[in-house]
Amino acid sequence: MYGSNEAQCDIAAKFEMIKRFSAVCLHAIALCFILYLSLYASTSRAEKIQILTYEESPYAVMVGKTQKGLLVDMLREMFSRSDLQYKLRFIPLKRAIITVERKPGYCVLPIVRSQEREANFQWISPVLVSRYGLYSQESLSIPLITLSDAKAYKIGSFLGSGIGEYLIDLGFDVELTTLSAQNLQKLKRGRFELWAADLISARELMQKQGVIFGQPELVFYTSVRAMACNREVPVEQIRKLETALTAMYRDGYMKQLYLEYGVDI
Amino acid sequence: MPNLNLHFMVSISLLTVMLFSLSAHSVETAQKSLAQKWISDEFQPSTLSQGEQMQEMNWFIEASKPYQGMEIRVVSERIATHWYEASVLAKAFFEITGIHVVHELTGEDDVIKKLSAQILTQQNIYDAYINDSDLIGTHFRSNAVLPLSDFIKEQGANVTLPSLDLQDFIGLKFTTGPDGKLYQLPDQQFANLYWYRHDWFNREDFKKRFKSRYGYQLGVPQNWQAYEDIAEFFSEDIKEIDGQRVYGHMDYAKTDPSLGWRMSDAWFSMAGVGDKGLPNGLPVDEWGIRVEQCRPVGASVERGGALNSPAAIYAVDKFRDWLNKYAPEQSIDLNFTQAGEWAGKGIIAQQIFWYTAFVANLTKPGLAVMNLDGTPKWRVAPSPVGKYWQAGMKSGYQDAGAWTLLKNTPLKRQQAAWLYAQFVVSKTVSLKKTLVGLTPIRLSDIESDVMSEQAPYLGGLVEFYRSSGRDIWTPTGTNVPDYPGLANYWWQYISLIIEGKVSTQKGMDNFAAAMDRQFALMGERTDMKCAPKLNPLASKEFWFNQAGAPKRIIIDKAVGHTLPYEEAINVWK
Repeated sequence: MYGSNEAQCDIAAKFEMIKRFSAVCLHAIALCFILYLSLYASTSRAEKIQILTYEESPYAVMVGKTQKGLLVDMLREMFSRSDLQYKLRFIPLKRAIITVERKPGYCVLPIVRSQEREANFQWISPVLVSRYGLYSQESLSIPLITLSDAKAYKIGSFLGSGIGEYLIDLGFDVELTTLSAQNLQKLKRGRFELWAADLISARELMQKQGVIFGQPELVFYTSVRAMACNREVPVEQIRKLETALTAMYRDGYMKQLYLEYGVDI
Repeated sequence: MPNLNLHFMVSISLLTVMLFSLSAHSVETAQKSLAQKWISDEFQPSTLSQGEQMQEMNWFIEASKPYQGMEIRVVSERIATHWYEASVLAKAFFEITGIHVVHELTGEDDVIKKLSAQILTQQNIYDAYINDSDLIGTHFRSNAVLPLSDFIKEQGANVTLPSLDLQDFIGLKFTTGPDGKLYQLPDQQFANLYWYRHDWFNREDFKKRFKSRYGYQLGVPQNWQAYEDIAEFFSEDIKEIDGQRVYGHMDYAKTDPSLGWRMSDAWFSMAGVGDKGLPNGLPVDEWGIRVEQCRPVGASVERGGALNSPAAIYAVDKFRDWLNKYAPEQSIDLNFTQAGEWAGKGIIAQQIFWYTAFVANLTKPGLAVMNLDGTPKWRVAPSPVGKYWQAGMKSGYQDAGAWTLLKNTPLKRQQAAWLYAQFVVSKTVSLKKTLVGLTPIRLSDIESDVMSEQAPYLGGLVEFYRSSGRDIWTPTGTNVPDYPGLANYWWQYISLIIEGKVSTQKGMDNFAAAMDRQFALMGERTDMKCAPKLNPLASKEFWFNQAGAPKRIIIDKAVGHTLPYEEAINVWK
């Protein structure tokens, strides 16, 4: 049975060669696959979500070149709890909303999640609960029990703010400025009788500008603001961020953060 | 600077004096004097005598003592009834009780988002919500909503109005969970009814033309075929009246949450998607969701639901076809709010269903749809039904905005908010409120002589609310386990069909599959009462062979059927 042994040896040698060749090939394929995966993953990681916000103290402010504020901290925490990366930029609100509507990979915060806007974006909510008040000049008292009592007065607000649009929709006489900060001087000079503003921002702006209007005449509205993302941002990314935000509420992180910034609902 | 309203100045001064300087006895006297003033100047007419009204107000003055000086925050949607509450009743409540209520108004969608946010964040954003009873399935499962029937007996006993008379509320069955507990107290109700130009339908020349073309009388359509014929008749045959382009149909289809509500509120129930049963079909409701015991077991036909069944496809196809063929060109880009004013323009012949919350807006003198004597040229009647509909099924939608308290609101704030909630539905104010907003909630108001006198001016609204119609036009029911989450699916999936991106069947298959997936996720939760538990997949044929929904396809075209108005509204009796 030698012949057959020889033949068997020959076959075994060939088989060994094929096996080695296959192993080399498989290693090469695996290597390629791993390389592809790592390249793909790094590309994905490199695609940072572009977040747009606007200056509204104490939520988001630029101090020199540093971004600070409640929402800045919240974003940092939210993204650290997901494996996503982001880049935060400050631009005016109106332009930010238009950019996010048009550009994939972009999100804006904080904006009011209204029925009219619902279909234009994907949403991560709530990122901010805020109350709005009507302020009058310090020397003047305009007692208001209901919002309707303010119908007789001119109200100041700023362009792109949900609250200005809300009051206009309800038939109030509203004058809009480009920036929220301009309204303090306007109210001081009596260009309008009431200034509609978010309580926390109003407090900060008054401190910054050294203006005192005191307590609002009426705290008339509550908004739940959200982060709006372009409709083409992958759903999985939206879910990851939503999950992170929900966890931040449930484990008390958000409550602590609000307290740090003196925000009380 | 404008002058302040004198009455307002007087009341503010009185309140300030009352709270800060007078003795307890004087405070009470001032409150009573203000209550008497509100009763004589504002809260008339009422089903109560002025003496009885004063008795109720005295109770409020006494019960609110521990809460005087508090500021309470509540929120509701923006309709005439709530505007009246926020502007007039909140002020009266403040003057009478010393509790300052800020009653915020916003879109219903936003109300739901705020309620969800309060549950998620555990922050007390509002002390009470007026929230549509469509969420009853969510509320009783959530363990986040305070069952009012428990509260009334326990921690709310001292602040529950003895003359609240719960049995007088017509919508309690809509706000009661399968566990028999009352979760919400109705504040306002309005229905979706068929709306049409009674004057045009009675024109002899139009009647003759319609009869010769379709072979039956022009009248209130009883089925979708008749509605379609009338739509075609006005849009394509009549075309112009007094030189104005007119349309036989009006609708809206903008990609917006209101598109979803149009479908889930009424379109599917009228088509006959669900099973028999009131207030909602059982075991399959008008959302196409099947329940077993109280557990949702599927929305797709393959799991025993009806969301992608032939009846659902028929409903969506008719919606799209009528919109494209017979409605004004702009309607595809309109949402609920934008479309609301169109009926008043005087160019629409009929609308298959129309929210009666608009009655107040559509009865304003001078409108193209009003007669000089103050009576309307239009009427409301029962909506026509689709070919899958059978007697014993709900016939349309009724919205019941209802007071909802969350468990995470501090007790004292719950109690103060509950006082305000009862004040705005009390018999002292409810008839006046009904006349302002035309959204009745109490049987005593509906049956009052005042409403009989108003009936000719309200186009059939009073007749509807005095009939069994008020029990057959019903809100979303308890089958829907997560209304805020699932309501979004409606407009997101159906808009793709309307935009032509997918076929109706494919779009509804995707929708049903997505809802089933959501049920599967909810089923994993251990903290949810009556959580979904999906049926195993079976063939469509298996389910079509069972009784009721999902129903097998009906190929036959129905024959149009109409009735004169007087006979049509008899259906409600």
